[in-house]
Amino acid sequence: MLKNYLKIAWRNLLRNKSFSLLNIMGLSIGLAVTGLILLWVNFEFGVNQFHENKDRIYEVYNKYEVDGEIWTWNSTPKVMASVIKKDYPEVEQVSRYFYENIFLFSSGDKKIKANGTIVDPSFLKIFSFPLIEGDIETVFEDVNSLVVTEEFANKMFGDEPAVGQVITVDNTDSFKVTGVLKNLPVNTEFNFEYLMPWSYLKQKGYDDKNWSNNSIATYVLLNESVNYNDFSEKIKTLRESYDKEAPEMVTFLYPYTRSHLYSEFDNGKEVGGLIDIIRLFGIIAIIVLVIACINFMNLSTARSEKRAKEVGVRKVVGARKNALVFQFLGESILISFIAAVLALIIIVIVLPTFSELVNERLDIEWENPWFWGFFFATIVLTGLLAGSYPALYLSAFKPSAVLKGTFNKINTLVAPRKVLVVVQFSVAIILITATIVVKEQISTVQNRKLGYNKDNLVYVQMEGDVEKNYASIKSELLEGDIATSISKTNSPITESWSNSWNIQWKGKSEDNKTLVHRLVADDAIIKTMGLQLVEGRDFELDKYPTDSTAIILNKSAVKLMGFANPLGQTIKDNGTDWHVIGVIEDFVFNSPFQKIEPMVIEGARAWFNMVHIKLNVQNTTSENLAATEAIFKKYNPNYPFNYEFVDEDYAQKFANEQRTEKLARLFTVLTILISCLGLFGLASYMAQNRIKEIGIRKVLGASASGITKLLSIDFLKLVLVSMLIAIPISWYAMNQWLQDFAYKIDLSWWMFVIAGILALAIAFVTVSYQAIKAAKSNPVNSLRTE
Amino acid sequence: MLLQLKNIFKWVNSGGQRIFLLKDINMEVEEGEFISVMGPSGSGKSTLLNVIGMLDTFDEGEYNFLHESVHTLKEKHRSNLYKEYIGFVFQSYHLLDELTVQENLEMPLLYKKFKGAERKAMVADMLDRFNIVGKKDLFPTQLSGGQQQLVGVARALIANPKLILADEPTGNLNSQQSEEIMELFKKLNQEDGVTIIQVTHSEKNAAYGSRIINLLDGRKV
Repeated sequence: MLKNYLKIAWRNLLRNKSFSLLNIMGLSIGLAVTGLILLWVNFEFGVNQFHENKDRIYEVYNKYEVDGEIWTWNSTPKVMASVIKKDYPEVEQVSRYFYENIFLFSSGDKKIKANGTIVDPSFLKIFSFPLIEGDIETVFEDVNSLVVTEEFANKMFGDEPAVGQVITVDNTDSFKVTGVLKNLPVNTEFNFEYLMPWSYLKQKGYDDKNWSNNSIATYVLLNESVNYNDFSEKIKTLRESYDKEAPEMVTFLYPYTRSHLYSEFDNGKEVGGLIDIIRLFGIIAIIVLVIACINFMNLSTARSEKRAKEVGVRKVVGARKNALVFQFLGESILISFIAAVLALIIIVIVLPTFSELVNERLDIEWENPWFWGFFFATIVLTGLLAGSYPALYLSAFKPSAVLKGTFNKINTLVAPRKVLVVVQFSVAIILITATIVVKEQISTVQNRKLGYNKDNLVYVQMEGDVEKNYASIKSELLEGDIATSISKTNSPITESWSNSWNIQWKGKSEDNKTLVHRLVADDAIIKTMGLQLVEGRDFELDKYPTDSTAIILNKSAVKLMGFANPLGQTIKDNGTDWHVIGVIEDFVFNSPFQKIEPMVIEGARAWFNMVHIKLNVQNTTSENLAATEAIFKKYNPNYPFNYEFVDEDYAQKFANEQRTEKLARLFTVLTILISCLGLFGLASYMAQNRIKEIGIRKVLGASASGITKLLSIDFLKLVLVSMLIAIPISWYAMNQWLQDFAYKIDLSWWMFVIAGILALAIAFVTVSYQAIKAAKSNPVNSLRTE
Repeated sequence: MLLQLKNIFKWVNSGGQRIFLLKDINMEVEEGEFISVMGPSGSGKSTLLNVIGMLDTFDEGEYNFLHESVHTLKEKHRSNLYKEYIGFVFQSYHLLDELTVQENLEMPLLYKKFKGAERKAMVADMLDRFNIVGKKDLFPTQLSGGQQQLVGVARALIANPKLILADEPTGNLNSQQSEEIMELFKKLNQEDGVTIIQVTHSEKNAAYGSRIINLLDGRKV
């Protein structure tokens, strides 16, 4: 019996090649989209979840009320860990995690740069990063011990054993490898290739007991018996007896398992995070799959008349309704099986691209039985979902009616299918609008006035001997006409690495805790960056040695401080009195989507990490870079020369939004494609249904164009209805999306008009093919069939 | 007695009026009879055949088939009854285009849950009996009309029914093919004792039967 069904199903597929193709393609695209999204969602849900103790791991967070708004952040003072260890027996382990740093490691002739950090010895006890070699109790015993990943060890030592080897770090200190870690899994948020013990930091004098220096992460592992809620009450007031400046600041523990998907706070409340995007795409996945299934139903029922005879014959020779339902469901499961296999192939092909798009390393777990279980469950479910309606509909035919040819073409079924088309097109229009709005928003922000000149501007890290030989490097660059200007800074111009609410100025009120950003520069900062001077002057260290304690304000800072005459004012920060020498226009230093916050540029008293070089436009870029590299090699021979272009760096700031745009566009195209398949099916069904009417009209003198119009207009009406539904929804949704940006576009009517016109045009092209075909057919043929 | 119709009425309501498709039909059919139903288009021939074949219901009257009263049976029993005892032959053959001759013959047996070996034997037997062994792997569209109808008759016969209902079995055939099919019916009736009720327009075909029932506007005349 099953064989017979399979045979019939298979031959049916082959006989109606174009129909089968439409049906299977639509379904497999839908399944592929859903599959990709599910892979992604599954990945994101798995991030940080592999730690054995995951339910007991917490990250220390702070809450602080500033101007009536509660700020929440996760960096802590270095000293906090020891206080937790001392005062709270509920905590089993605590470890600090310094910020990640790239160092140059060398052993013999081998030199590699690697990213990593400094932790407390208990770090490996809290998190499950297993050691392949070395003892978890002793790996960090020595100040100069180094734990590296397998990959690091392979790069450095090849097949030789790594433990016991000596590595020089940044050409200064020697470390002995004491442990080798298994490579980090892809689903962790940590990103290190080496770990150093905290004692090293202490030895170098970078450890401090300053409670207002909140700069590192602190993780704790609670005892198994500890109740989180009770403990939260207890640890809340941690700072009271230690932090002189902000004793009322609240300390709380945030569950580590939530850190990846949630961890976004608004006014002290967790408001989501990545999970929002994942939910959104989860919904999209379901919508796309449902649309694909709807298509399947549409196309299957469209062909029902062809199957009607078969139903009649089978019933006459003894088939029960159940047997027929079973047969048709089996058929749709077969189709969904083929579609699923195709979808899997599509997924395998596009997975690398998609991974890039969502910025994760997604993989199909071929060996995982869950994967296959899910795969087959999807096939059966999709088959049942998509096949249920046609199966019940077809199996209910009455043989006496079907076989005698008096079978009435059932127009009643058109109504629900029209609804399906409206749903499909509403989704398509919403997605088109979203794509337009996101694209518009990005390009508007990209064209935002930057406030500095990012062209021909590169920056290089201060590392090795750069600091020592800076004067020589600078003079060679300038005298060789390679650069027109050069400045040392603490951070790239594209980012703010430092801020404080503790900067004081005359007339500042006690409770003013507005965050002010700090840039630090030595000389010619305005000239190098091409900043726009409003009043005063640039740093000129040669002419005015006191410029090492000079400060330049941006306009927002002037406004915040309320200076009528900013020049000459004194500002206190970090124990230094800074005198204002200049005011500049606001420039974009953080996200270009947000408003620009107050910033001060402090003079050469402070510290430096970067060298910004404005290249001479007289030469070609490659000439400039080659010459610059030669100079850096000369004065800093132990380090490879690396540089970043500011304009490329700036372009990176759009990566997230561009990704959203790409994803939106991808899903829009796919939804439209699937919807068109459905519309095509419905159009062919309706044309078939009205074949007699068309014949009669033609005999009575209707023109082909008249009939095309007659047949098309019905569908265009459906698209218009979809527009009415889609526009308010997309207006609301896009407004919500734009809420997140301070610098944003206004929604305007043309975006919706374009989306609507596009949908109409696509629908028209799809439908008119069928309509023209029907209109051109010979009426003699169609009338004879009746 | 094979079957008995008593005061059968069937009607539809159209525009507030009751239109009778069958009006007070009474008939008895003995086993081994070969009956021809005749009448102009729309006289109710096919409706009568569908009622006898239990494919269609009626609104009033009694119908007994092999001592079962069909009018009181549930749908499920009724279909069991016709599955077991009745075979159908259609004017337009109604073979499944996707299946070969052999597979078309096998299909009724599948629904009657015969075992694989049994099915094979019965199909082979039928192919042999109708002299179409050479065509067993062809699809219906590769056959002539006469050959298709031959397969249609073979399919109707394969499960050994007591009664064959044929609705204009030669309507789509030329005269030579018609004659062959009618000869086949005659042989089945006389040699195998199969009861046959056929609907026909042709006097010549009607003459093959042992009795003629004439219908006009749903009424026996």
